[in-house]
Amino acid sequence: MATLVPPSPATAVTPPAAGSGAAAVEPQKADYLNLPCPIPYEEIHREALMSLKPEHFEGMRFDFTKGLNQKFSLSHSVMMGPTEIPSQSSETIKIPTAHYEFGANYIDPKLMLFGRVLTDGRVNARLKCDLTDNLTLKGNAQLTNEPHMSHGMFNFDYKGSDYRTQFQLGNGALFGASYIQSVTPNLSLGGEVFWAGQHRKSGIGYAARYNTDKMVATGQVASTGMVALSYVQKVSEKVSLASDFMYNYMSRDVTASFGYDYILRQCRLRGKIDSNGVVAALLEERFNMGLNFLLSAEIDHQKKDYKFGFGLTVGE
Amino acid sequence: MSTRGGGASSDDGILSRVSTSVSQSPIVYRGKKAAFDTAYVAKKLLKSTGKAAWIAGTTFLVLVVPLIIEMDREQQLNELELQQASLLGASK
Repeated sequence: MATLVPPSPATAVTPPAAGSGAAAVEPQKADYLNLPCPIPYEEIHREALMSLKPEHFEGMRFDFTKGLNQKFSLSHSVMMGPTEIPSQSSETIKIPTAHYEFGANYIDPKLMLFGRVLTDGRVNARLKCDLTDNLTLKGNAQLTNEPHMSHGMFNFDYKGSDYRTQFQLGNGALFGASYIQSVTPNLSLGGEVFWAGQHRKSGIGYAARYNTDKMVATGQVASTGMVALSYVQKVSEKVSLASDFMYNYMSRDVTASFGYDYILRQCRLRGKIDSNGVVAALLEERFNMGLNFLLSAEIDHQKKDYKFGFGLTVGE
Repeated sequence: MSTRGGGASSDDGILSRVSTSVSQSPIVYRGKKAAFDTAYVAKKLLKSTGKAAWIAGTTFLVLVVPLIIEMDREQQLNELELQQASLLGASK
């Protein structure tokens, strides 16, 4: 499974000699006993996802967050706009919906709680708790009006010095486990297995991530048929470019996308173009202290589906 | 097919015989076909150029125009800061 990168001659020292003080001061010598802790397995594509898949929306969106305390805050959110209904034919069916969402957040260094209630009857809850220094418990649950659509999931994360493991339990007899290990200061490799009792499906997957200061390259293969490769290059402090390739060898679906991410002082602009003929952009502009203006656009040339949205976010 | 289809028949006037022979000659037929083909190709080309221009135009509008606007604002902000810095620095 793992193809280890062969160490270069300068770093081909045996572990006892390497541990004798070759700290990370000299970038050429890799200290194999002091590898950094890797990124969690589910965030392995994090940079690419941040640039290429921001939250596009359609319609109007308004968010207001008010902090009552240093740790506790409430949030109100209104969203109005058409929602897509999955349909069999190639036409997209959109139904205008509007809802209000009330939420409460409690943020502590050791415990984080998020709760959201929507006017269409859904309740979301998220929990993140540091049980000890290295063990973290995360949970999330979603309750809905419709029967059999509520679900919940718990994760136990253990963080070692240069590895991370995670164990997942979900309702509907969903079990999952993942492990990721830093192999060199730049390369980390990991794998995951899952078993879904309700659908009688199981799967295994592998992932690799290579990152330097200027770029991040990741690859992921799963037995569900998905192969995903991504590459993000940080061109300067404010600009980064990302590209992504996804291939499903069961359903023979191929998608490649390319995007940019400009983080300027007053705004953040992300744009992407896809091989399915989708062009999308999201602009977040800061007007004043705590006032953010959002503009989202998504044009699908193939399906002739156009989505535009604007929104305002008030509060931290 | 009319009796005049193949060529001029002997009981027509001279003018009609000449005009028929011109209008049914293979050269005229080829010329008409070439004109028809050219018009067909030109119409398709125009339509596809129009489609390509639409796609390119809207994509440019969504991807590039906000970028230009924001980079311009960033540059203005930089110039303002530079000016302010030089003003404050000089008046110290």
